[in-house]
Amino acid sequence: MKPLAYPCLLALSLSLCSAVGSADEASPTEFVDLTVYPPQVTLNHADDFQRVVAVATQADGVTIDVTDLASWRVGVEHGDAEAVRLEDGLLSAESDGVARVAVEFAGLHAEADVHAEGIAKERPISFRHDVIPVLTRAGCNSGGCHGSSRGKDGFRLSLFGFDPAGDHHRLTREQVNRRLNLALPEESLLLTKAVASVTHTGGKRFDDQSEYYAKLADWIAAGAPNDLDGAPTVTAVALYPPRAAIGAGGQSQRFIAVADYSDGTSRDVTSLAIFQSSNESSAAIDQTGKVTSDRRGETFVTARFDTHTVGSQVLVLPTDEPFEPRPEAPVNYVDEFVNAKLRTLRIHPSELCADNEFLRRATIDIAGRLPTPEEAAAFAADDSAAKRETRIDALLKDPGFAQVWGLKWAELLLVRTLPNRVEYKPMFLYSRWLTEQIDSGRPLDEMVRDLLAASGSSFDTPQVNFYQIEPDPKKIAENVAQTFCGIRLQCAQCHNHPFDRWTMDDYYAFTAFFAQIQRKAGEDYREVFLFNRGSGEAKHPVDNRNMKPKYLGGAEADVKGRDRREALAEWVTAPENPYFAPSVANRVWAHFFGVGVVEPVDDLRVSNPPSNPALFKALGERLVEYDYDLRRLVRDVTLSNAYQRSCEPNTSNQGDLHNFARAHARRLPAETLLDCLSQVTGAPEKLPNLPLGARATQIADGNAGNYFLTTFGRSKRETVCACEAKSDPTLSQALHLLNGATVAGKIDSGKQIERWLDDGKTPAEVVDAIYSTALSRPANEQERADLLAMIGDAERPVEQLRDVFWAVLNSREFAFNH
Amino acid sequence: MAYKSMTTRRGFLAAGAVTGLGLSLGDFFALQSAQAASNTFAAPTVRAKSVIHIYLEGGVAAQETWDPKPEAPIEYRGELGSIATKLPGVRFSELLGRTANVADKLTVIRSMTHGEAAHERGQHNMMTGYRPSPALQYPSYGSVVSHEYGPRRDLPAYISIPGQVTDYGGSGYLSTAYAPFSVGDDPANPNFSVRDLSLPKGVSDERYHRRLAALETVNREFSERAASDAVSAMDEFYQRAFELIGSVDAREAFNLKKEDDKTRDRYGRNQAGQRMLLARRLVEAGARFVTLSYGGWDHHQNITGSVRRLLPAFDQGFATLIADLDERGLLDDTLVMVSSEFGRTPKINAEAGRDHWSKVFSVVVAGGGMKRGAVIGSSGATATEPEETPVTPEDLATTVFHQLGIAAEKELIAPGDRPIEIVKGGRVRPELLA
Repeated sequence: MKPLAYPCLLALSLSLCSAVGSADEASPTEFVDLTVYPPQVTLNHADDFQRVVAVATQADGVTIDVTDLASWRVGVEHGDAEAVRLEDGLLSAESDGVARVAVEFAGLHAEADVHAEGIAKERPISFRHDVIPVLTRAGCNSGGCHGSSRGKDGFRLSLFGFDPAGDHHRLTREQVNRRLNLALPEESLLLTKAVASVTHTGGKRFDDQSEYYAKLADWIAAGAPNDLDGAPTVTAVALYPPRAAIGAGGQSQRFIAVADYSDGTSRDVTSLAIFQSSNESSAAIDQTGKVTSDRRGETFVTARFDTHTVGSQVLVLPTDEPFEPRPEAPVNYVDEFVNAKLRTLRIHPSELCADNEFLRRATIDIAGRLPTPEEAAAFAADDSAAKRETRIDALLKDPGFAQVWGLKWAELLLVRTLPNRVEYKPMFLYSRWLTEQIDSGRPLDEMVRDLLAASGSSFDTPQVNFYQIEPDPKKIAENVAQTFCGIRLQCAQCHNHPFDRWTMDDYYAFTAFFAQIQRKAGEDYREVFLFNRGSGEAKHPVDNRNMKPKYLGGAEADVKGRDRREALAEWVTAPENPYFAPSVANRVWAHFFGVGVVEPVDDLRVSNPPSNPALFKALGERLVEYDYDLRRLVRDVTLSNAYQRSCEPNTSNQGDLHNFARAHARRLPAETLLDCLSQVTGAPEKLPNLPLGARATQIADGNAGNYFLTTFGRSKRETVCACEAKSDPTLSQALHLLNGATVAGKIDSGKQIERWLDDGKTPAEVVDAIYSTALSRPANEQERADLLAMIGDAERPVEQLRDVFWAVLNSREFAFNH
Repeated sequence: MAYKSMTTRRGFLAAGAVTGLGLSLGDFFALQSAQAASNTFAAPTVRAKSVIHIYLEGGVAAQETWDPKPEAPIEYRGELGSIATKLPGVRFSELLGRTANVADKLTVIRSMTHGEAAHERGQHNMMTGYRPSPALQYPSYGSVVSHEYGPRRDLPAYISIPGQVTDYGGSGYLSTAYAPFSVGDDPANPNFSVRDLSLPKGVSDERYHRRLAALETVNREFSERAASDAVSAMDEFYQRAFELIGSVDAREAFNLKKEDDKTRDRYGRNQAGQRMLLARRLVEAGARFVTLSYGGWDHHQNITGSVRRLLPAFDQGFATLIADLDERGLLDDTLVMVSSEFGRTPKINAEAGRDHWSKVFSVVVAGGGMKRGAVIGSSGATATEPEETPVTPEDLATTVFHQLGIAAEKELIAPGDRPIEIVKGGRVRPELLA
């Protein structure tokens, strides 16, 4: 067996040696699986080749790239005995035939089939399949270089080759004979610039000995043909291995990219794809497709070729410490998926949080307020095992629940007044419609269907204001994709999305759903009628063709004789839609954990996959199963151990954010922070257009607000991005809490300290009352002693106690949910 | 990492809170800056230590200010006359008489050009150096400076007078931690004070320290239990607030009453003058980037009357600012820039106004290593197109950042780990530099 010949000479982990040495014993480092990639190989012309890799998996899940260590054998089954060759991990063919590649390592065996067909013929050089990929791979058509909308130094290419016809024109017809010299190909500026033998701002892109140079030179020598009309298209790209789990600190794994074409052929595009790693601090990927690990963690490596982006998950695991998962019974499916992922990552979750922490956390998250002292006392006194569950069920009935989610949807749907477009009255009606939907527990799919397909008066059917707040069909399409599917299409307006599957065709075909909206002013200047005109098209800006409405990632829509938006509304909310339910469920998740399973929550793309795909899928499925009832999903999430964990880290989960191994302190949203300040001080707030004492979560208009809310990052509702509501700290926030009128003003005007003293509480009891109302815990010994020493022994220390109250309301513990 | 550093931060939070001592920047920001650069670049030498950016919102007409066309027919020239300046052969609007006397300290760019004739798009261009993009909002000049350098001498790095200037004067894709600190009141107001900067009435120093001691007590346990970057970041801003409140020099920088009446009169007791005076005080005390707005310059109607109403106060304030900075020896280190989203149409329209015109307009810079006394470019006979030396917003931004010691090609990280150059496609314009 080959590995014994190289005991640990290569950059391989010690675990490999020990595994080989003790193959008989059942040990975590024993090899249990061997796989060869790609599983099937086709070779289609004389110069065709395919890289192969072999990956061995240990019992503990760690994978090792054994391509160089395993023994390989090619057995030809049909055709000439020498038809198929394997040299330096590269398969190629001499003549047609069928062969089997067999690989052996550590007593394990794996195989792959190779079909060689049409080997006798030379494949003609292709502009689309040879030249454009080289220009992309070498970075020539990237945004910082000639792919910029204005080109660079007088030469423009389409960004990442989204317009091959235009690129061919610019290369061959602009400044004729300058960029290409058909007589002396090597004199072409395209080549001399690329190898920097003449001055090139972009420097040397590749060597004149490289395959890239050869491809471009061959194409020019062949007369710079344009094969765009007949060329097959790329139907799929695969990245192998689909998953890897390698040890930390310098372990490596080779990846290979294979493209499938519409003519049934496939091709090794490893040297033409662009590789990226989403987390370089855990593992980086170089442009040969080799991943090298660094610190523990996980990353998603992607390969981009043509308009396709594909990815593989790479876990980087600590191999030096033994890992024994601690037994813990899952509460529901949430815990099963979260814990499974944590075990793979060798992370121990934190303990569950204390009862008072749970009560404060859940009350803020579910009802948007702090627990009252009565609730806290009752909860503390309750010793039933199911008391957290009982409390969650009670909170789900709290009027605050609808306010929290009404606010969230109002932010996403951009509910606000707009000069000369949306007056106060229709805006208010729209906001009220929304609150009623949430309040009544109307299934979300019905609500969204109703909204997207709405026609009529902006007074009587207020949800038509969705199309009034943003009238541009392109923006509407972007907003619908981002809000209801979690997909950002914006990039594809001007060029194919560089990190996702969306092309300009997809963008304008999706825009076509909104191309037939007609508006008419009502009698009342504030009223607008919105209806289906039945005509109007979205045009592709590159060639001006009319785009037929097509669902994202789906088929063309059958919209004959109906409002296109109706068809769209049905597609968005269909249970089969892979985007709607999971992305809504993911927003719910993010509300309770601070980060989504996909984060950002509205940027689901191939290169930004869910941190826990099984959990992501399950949450969406449950939402569908629950008939889109928000409350039931929230119940599942908040009941889970995952939600109820402590913020206190252990050594294994200290760095974890995306796998929910512990809770993270989250700053209260602006509205909730103000509501909580009003609640604990007993000083109600007067907010614009609302009665005294109404909550900030109830403000209808995105343009209304006050200094406090603006300063603390209230969403302006100008874009659908979930990032509009901000929780980043600023100097103005700190100054306002320290010196501003809100905290000190509310303490004074609410007279809570005086009331407690009047009730006969001692200063020590008042300190405890402050702590329990604001922080849901008693002051600890040290705190009480320090604060009482500061308060002194005055008869009625109102000012001193106000200062303690001030300090508590200025504390991080108050401003954060934890 | 952040977890381990908590002990230190808590330590100096206590020190800072109680004693008001100035302390160095926290790990949070050091970490962010370290991660920020994803490419290689050479940082240029620092020529300008601070910037005063005067923004004339609405689109000021070059013809009525820096680039009069006395030879052009009346429908191009407008009704205002022109006067000679200290620069031979260079004329300004008749309403810029005082500024004409400091023209030898200014560089007038008469060939700014871009293609965005809508206010918000032009503002994005001129506040960020980037054309607006549907996918991303870019950070303003000041936010980039704040991100690159952080606060100096306890003053916020980026300050806006009276509030954030236009929708694009903020932090864009960067964290709001780099947004401008708004003074929140108009310096021309006789009782001008910065919002929340001074201790509230009835709170003595003694009481303030009692509160801070109590705050320190309350924060102690939580910081241990729930360490996180978000909590540390908020600690950091409290720390900065303590430093600002605790530093007499920093606080007094905002106090216009510390200027004698003569100086205040010299600048002009109006919005333009007092905002510029405050800007001078702030950069003198350590602020790195101060942006102020003055007036509304969107003169589609009756442009002569409107400019007559607005420009004299600007003239007085600006001429004083330049002279004052120079007298104090600050002009060499302080880059002053007067800009607007675009200029206005060559011809007077039917309502005696001018409409939006982005093809050519004027921007004025002074100090901070810019040329002293120069006119760059020309807008031709009728202010229709740049006749020579066109300067783009990208060029202007690249040049300003260059003077500040910031390489425009440095990449910052936008959400989604997207590396974005500070300015893309601009070049340092040697014509502008001394």
